[in-house]
Formats: sequence, structure tokens, C-alpha cells
Amino acid sequence: MEARDDDEMATAGAQLLMAAGNGSSGPTMDVALKIWRFDSETGERELKQYEVEAPEWSCLLDVLDIVKDRVDGTLSYRKSCRMMICGSCGMRMDGAAVLACKERMKPIVDAGHVPVISAMGNLPILKDLVVDMGPFWAKFKAMKPWLQPGFDEPADGKEYRVSQERMNVIHKEALCINCGCCVSECNSMESDPEFLGPQALAKGMRFVGDARDGATVERLEEYNSEHGIWDCTRCYFCNERCPKGVDPRDAIAKLGAESIKHGIDRDMGAKHAKWFVKSAETTGWLRETELVPKTQGIVSSIKEMKFAMGLARKGKVPPPFPPHVADRVEESRKLRELTKTQGRDGALGIVQGERGLARIEHTDRGGARRDVPETDPTEPPVLRDLS
Amino acid sequence: MEAKHDVLIVGAGCAGMRAAIEAHDAGADVAIISKIHPVRSHSGAAEGGINAALGNASDDDPEKHAYDTVKGSDYLGDQDAIQVLCDEAPGDVYELENWGAVFSRTEDGRIAQRPFGAAGEPRTAYAADITGHVLIQVLYEQLVKRDILVYEEYFAWRLVVDDDRCQGVISWDLVNGGLHAIGAKTVILATGGAGRLYAGTTNAYACTGDGMTMALQAGVALKDMEMMQFHPTTLSPSGVLITEGCRGEGAYLLNADGERFLKRYAPNAMELASRDVISRAEQTEIDEGRGVDGSVLLDLRHLGAERILERLHGTRELSMTFALVDPIHDPIPVRPGSHYHMGGVDTDVWGLTSLGGLYAAGEVACVSVHGANRLGGNALMETITYGKRSGRHAAEWALSNTTVTVPPSAVSDAERDLRTLLDRTDGERPWRIRDELATTMHENFGVFRRESQMQQQGEVVAGLRERYERVLVEDKGNVFNTDLTQALELGFLLDLADCMVVCGLARKESRGAHARPYDYPDRDDENFLRHTLVTWNGEGPVLDWRPVTMTKWQPQVRSY
Repeated sequence: MEARDDDEMATAGAQLLMAAGNGSSGPTMDVALKIWRFDSETGERELKQYEVEAPEWSCLLDVLDIVKDRVDGTLSYRKSCRMMICGSCGMRMDGAAVLACKERMKPIVDAGHVPVISAMGNLPILKDLVVDMGPFWAKFKAMKPWLQPGFDEPADGKEYRVSQERMNVIHKEALCINCGCCVSECNSMESDPEFLGPQALAKGMRFVGDARDGATVERLEEYNSEHGIWDCTRCYFCNERCPKGVDPRDAIAKLGAESIKHGIDRDMGAKHAKWFVKSAETTGWLRETELVPKTQGIVSSIKEMKFAMGLARKGKVPPPFPPHVADRVEESRKLRELTKTQGRDGALGIVQGERGLARIEHTDRGGARRDVPETDPTEPPVLRDLS
Repeated sequence: MEAKHDVLIVGAGCAGMRAAIEAHDAGADVAIISKIHPVRSHSGAAEGGINAALGNASDDDPEKHAYDTVKGSDYLGDQDAIQVLCDEAPGDVYELENWGAVFSRTEDGRIAQRPFGAAGEPRTAYAADITGHVLIQVLYEQLVKRDILVYEEYFAWRLVVDDDRCQGVISWDLVNGGLHAIGAKTVILATGGAGRLYAGTTNAYACTGDGMTMALQAGVALKDMEMMQFHPTTLSPSGVLITEGCRGEGAYLLNADGERFLKRYAPNAMELASRDVISRAEQTEIDEGRGVDGSVLLDLRHLGAERILERLHGTRELSMTFALVDPIHDPIPVRPGSHYHMGGVDTDVWGLTSLGGLYAAGEVACVSVHGANRLGGNALMETITYGKRSGRHAAEWALSNTTVTVPPSAVSDAERDLRTLLDRTDGERPWRIRDELATTMHENFGVFRRESQMQQQGEVVAGLRERYERVLVEDKGNVFNTDLTQALELGFLLDLADCMVVCGLARKESRGAHARPYDYPDRDDENFLRHTLVTWNGEGPVLDWRPVTMTKWQPQVRSY
């Protein structure tokens, strides 16, 4: 092997150096952003604006690095791999959780937008963009997140024999990098800080769906208790904000389906779901008047009677008798039959869209697409003591 | 001393966690100290896989694995250490699988294996292209199961040496501030590599060679420090890793003319030649004007969308996010970038260093398994096998010895030095020194090396070290002061750069990653079939040599 002898430089020098130079070569842009600073030693909070020059290929993390290096060394945030796998740099941009290393800045700059950066939600802030992940990991550990094979060891002392198809059941859950973006945006956790939350429950599904795990029933029993799967409000914010395409809400749905499959259905949430199935199977419609007693029980329903009568008077609920049967109810029944014959009750019945893959938010070659934030990001982040 | 343990492990990547599990299971009181949470460790960024002769995809055995590794190392690897790795690899991989690692599967449900560079058989067990992530997760799960103590976000800074033994670690509590001395009968360094020495690197910001410098400053030798691997496929412009698994699945490397240029460099193995060979080929193409904007192209298109989505979805995600290229439709721009340090802390086959009580495992160590060039898939395997072995040995030693002493001076010296740094109100910010170090290392100590440039780099590093004496930390606070820890990391890197230059100048031959086409284009077994060793004399590096351990493979001409 020979390199050209008359090369002035052993390597292509500047061409190779774009990555580390922080703007030393290649086209640059002027980036402006606002950062919610917080100093837990003094309790001071302030929204500060920064303007720096950055390479056009910069992501949010690269811009933060430039700010810290050249403008204000006291800015704190976590970072490590800068390639969307270590999960360190979860934070909020315009009020929604992102991985800083994944957010390209050029389209934002081109749009003339000045984004507001703040710490993740639902976790106590330590400093600037750094949150205390303690409560996050406590929930992770509460899931008993390790394989419990029981007594079913591989006979030949080698690997368990599991088909790729069977492994694919937990394909998405296994992608989770524990960044906390889903927890940051979880609406249920905002009202109940003890809710196990999307990340921990997705980890739970990773084991429930693993053919090698022998503790399925024990796990489902635990995940069905208070603050468990049925406390999820199905707002889908976790699916929306997960930077890796794990789809934690789908994982929670799978846990629900597996619970019912295993007869773990004492929770109102499970009863509610079961009634939907029963109702669709029998009449092809949802029979709302029966939904409440089937879900909450008779005693509780009697207490709701006055409210129900009110609704009926206003024409908000159909009369329960005679039952309204859909014209082609047999289709609905056949569908139900099909899920049974195909063995698609349980997790396999949860239809998922694309393969696990981070949503790539860019349109053609123009870069990332950003939605208009719904919340006012200039409001200071909520400080919480969850300890 | 605020706490003490039988075994204290610095770093919580694959090697550190595997060592902790083994030491715990051997009955020792174990703790891990890590500057980032275990799952954030850079082992998680490994993509392609882990090599073990399982024989699931072909008729393979550890002997073939060992031969490929010896040849790949350009005969600088110690053959006894390589034999240990290859013999123990299959059992260690089955153990990971039994713990729940989510490996990809063959038709008959076994662990799937794919071809990798310079391997005679499809030997690389994998989990799509997120193998490191899957292993980090399974090891952390096992750590949680055992309730092993982790000093999370503690920054290890110095080793405590007393009575010619390593007896603990002095560290900075990143979350709350404050120096802490943690005593230990044995310390295992598992801090990973130092890729941040280079401008273009696949390595995380955390890869700053902490453990190498801590050992060096404690009087332990570093081995083969000139051997920095340049990975042939790092994404332009960000430098993140595009897995060798792409080529394992059949991807082509093309130059600006659309030519599979490897036919002129490695006509038999083509894209599956070893990494040093391909990196040099790419660099030559780029230098001679057949590159595309300083890159060559990695073409996956003929693999088809289905295969890309199933086995290389992480690669697609990285390409689309950082290069705005969808590999289903367009080739990916790639170029060589610093990736893996074959060199590191000199250890024996149990991970033990020359300092009693001090061990090293994984990339921080140099056993030496990889010699002058590491094969893809062997790094993850080394972290597991040698992490496990060092954990076992350290636990056994700790359980038969009792005392731990941390002299008060060790803490007070560290406190004084830290105070000096924090009290400084005027000086130079670290970033300029850091960037200059990284760009000059890339220019002067990169894929191809020249005598004059290496000498020049020695002077550059000396100048940067002088400037570092006046480095300014702006953040004076206690809580999450990364300004302080980043300045300390830069100090680690500068010492290592010094060592690398000294070793590079001394090795007057071309072997593996150390390519000197202008003055010493050939391998010289007569004079240089031996390891470089550097120690620190208080001022700078001192060079020494050690013969390579040979068992049954004699050096041969290396072609692919």
C-alpha cells in the first residue's frame, strides 16, 4: 500500500476536521437560543438568551457545547455519545422532550425561530438542564428488570432456542435507551408522581414478552397494582416524544392485553377493556349504559345513577332496551373469532405500525420538521420535590 | 477514607459491569465508581457484534478465531492472551444470552452470526446493529439484580498508592461536589479508550483515557500506545460510527468514480479486509483526489430495504439524522476516524498490572489481544472475557487479604491541587487547547505517519501542556460542575498524547495501525516484533520494550 509521496500532509487535514473544530471549517450559521438556567445552590432561575456561530450541520448539543466553551462555562447539561444511543442528553426544547444530540438546528435557524431550552419535566432539577434521575431509576428497579428463567435452562449448556419471530415481540422495547423523554412528557405522572410510567412499563414488557422469562404472571400481577398499567391515560405523548421509536404506550397496551389473557383482570381498567370486547362481540356496538356497572361494579354504579339519568334525559346515552344490534354484527363476531384462532389475544393482538425506528423528523433534504409548541415555553419549568 | 470495599471498579461499561458481577458472585464486597450512569457508557455504542466461535453459521472453532486475531494484530498480539480470549469466548457469550441478551437469531433459533472484516468464518454474534446497547442493558440488569453499589456520577481522578499497592481511588462527586477517598483492597480500571484525542472520532465525549493516565501517574506502564485504530466507516461530517456490519451484510465501498477501489488494495477480501488496510485504502483514495468531499461512499442500496430495515435500522437512523442520507436510496459518505486504542495499561492475562491490587480490563487495558490492529467484534468480546477474569482474580486476592490504608496526604494533596485549579481567576479556557490537540493529532499522528510530523506533534503537545498549566475553570460551584471535570479530562489526554508520540517515533516500521509509508513502509520483525512500554518519570514519558509472547504462530506476510 502506498500513499502519494509528495503529500504535504499525511492525512487530508482540514477535510477531516469538521467534526471537532466547532466551526473551524465548512459553512456556519448564527444560532440564537434561550436557556432556562437554574442554580440549586442559590435557588436562582433565569431565562438567558445566547447567540453563537455554529457549523450548519450542528445539532442542539453542538450549540450547547459552543455556548459552554466560549460564552458561559457554568452552563451544565449531560452528554456523552452524541449519537442517540447513550441517552444522556434528554432535555426540553420549546416545552417538549428531545435528545439534544438528535435535533438539527439549521431548519430552526432558517425559520427564524429562537427555541427555549429547559430541563426535562416530571423530575427534580439539579442544575440548568440536569435533572435528578433518581426517581426514574427507582421505578426502573421496581420492575425487577432482569430475566427470571425459572428452571428452564438450555439443556446443552448453550443458548435458549428462540425464533427471530418470537424475539421480534420485544424488538421495540429492547431499543429503549432510558433517556427519560417519555417520563418528562407523561401526563399521568404529572398528576400521580408514583405512576410507574412509560419507561419502566416498557421495560416490564421487555420481560413479559421474552419467551425465556418464566415470571410472566408474577410480573403482570405487580404491574396491575395501584400506579400500574391501568393508570395510563393513553395520551400517547410518550410515543410521540420517544426519540428511539420504542412506543411505550404500545408496550403498556401489550401488558394490558397480556394481563387479560392471563386472567389478571380485577382492575377497573381491565374490566373496562373487557367490556369493550364483549360489547363489540355481541351487538357490534359499545353499550355505554352497561359499561359503568361492568367496569365499576353495581354499588358504584348506583351512586352514578342520578348522573346517568341526567345524561339519558338529554339524549346523551341510548336507551339500554331493546339492545341496539349493528346491521352486520356477524363481521364483528368473525373478527373476534379470528383473533382467537390466530392466537392473537395478548401482546400479539396489539397492532404496531412501522418497525422500531426513530422518527426521522426531516422533510426531503430540508432538515427537521418542528411542530408549534402548545405550551408557553417562556413559563419557567415547574420545580418539583419528588423525594 | 469514607468507605472501603474489597473490589472497587472504575468505569461501568461492559468490562466494568462484567467484572463487578464476577467479583460479587465470588463473594467480594463490590462497588463501581463511574462518571456517567452505567447505561450511558460508550460500550453501548458498539454496533456490529461480538466474536465467538459458536459455530452457528459455519464450521468454526476457537483455533480459527485465534489465528485470525493473531494475523489481524499484524503479529503484535500476545498469543497466550489471544488463546484465552478465543477459548473462553463461546461460554461467555452463552452466559450473556442466558441472562437475557436480545441476540438476533438463526433459522433454528440459535444466536445469529455474521461475517466481519478479516475473519475466516461468519463469527460475529449480533443483535441487529445495536449489539453494544443490548449487552449494556443485560449487564446493567444483572447489576440491579445483585444490588451492586454504584457511585453514580463520581469522577475518578487519582489512584491511592500506599505500601506499593493500589488501595483506593480519589474522586470528585459530580452531583454534590466534594472530593472523596474510597478505599479498596483491589481496584479494577475499566474506563475505556481515549478517542477524544482526535478531531474525527467515533468515541463519546466521555472517552478521555482517564484510567490510562491514572495508572501512568501511579507508576504503571502503558503498552503499544502508538496503536490507535482508525475505523474505515465513520459518518461525515459528525464522525459517528457506521458499523462494519454493513460490510458484513454485503455493502460496497466506492470512490468518486463509482469504483469498488478495494480491488486494488485487498483483491480477495475486498470490503471485508481488516480495518487498518481499508482505512489506508480510503485515505489514499481521498488524498489522490478520488474522494467525494473528503469522504468515500458506503453503498447499501443493493441490499434492499427489507434487509436494511431488519438488520441495519440503527445505521439508517444515524445516516438520516446526521447526514440527511437514507441508505435505502443513497450511499453514505464515510471516512476513517479514530475509533479504538489497541494500546493501554499493561496487564497480564488476569488483568493484573505491575502494581499490586491494580487491574485493568477492556479498552483501557493492553493485555495484549489486539496487537497493532483490532478485528471488529473482538473488543466487546475482550470486555466480557477479560472483565470477568479480572473480577474473579481481584475478588480472590481481596478475600485473602484484609488491610486498606489511605494515607491522609493522598487526599490533602489532591485537595490542594484542585483548589489551585478552582481558585485561578485568570487563564485560558480549555476548549482551544482541547481542539488544537485533537486537530493536530489528526494531522500529525493519523492514518499515515511521517517522522517530521510526529516530531512536530511532540512540540505541539509540549506547548499545549504548558498552556494547560494556566487553564481556567469558569464554574466555581459544587453542583454538576462539568466545567471542572472537562478540564481534568483534558489533563488526562495531554499526558497520553505525549506517550503516543514517543512510542510512534520509536517504532521505525509499518505495522497494523502504525503506517509509515514514507520512510519505513515495511514491517520489521527483526527489530520491532515487540511492544513499546512507557512509564512516567515525573516530567514525561520514558520508553522501554518487551518481546511479544509467541506460542504457535510465526509471523507471515499479511495480505487480504
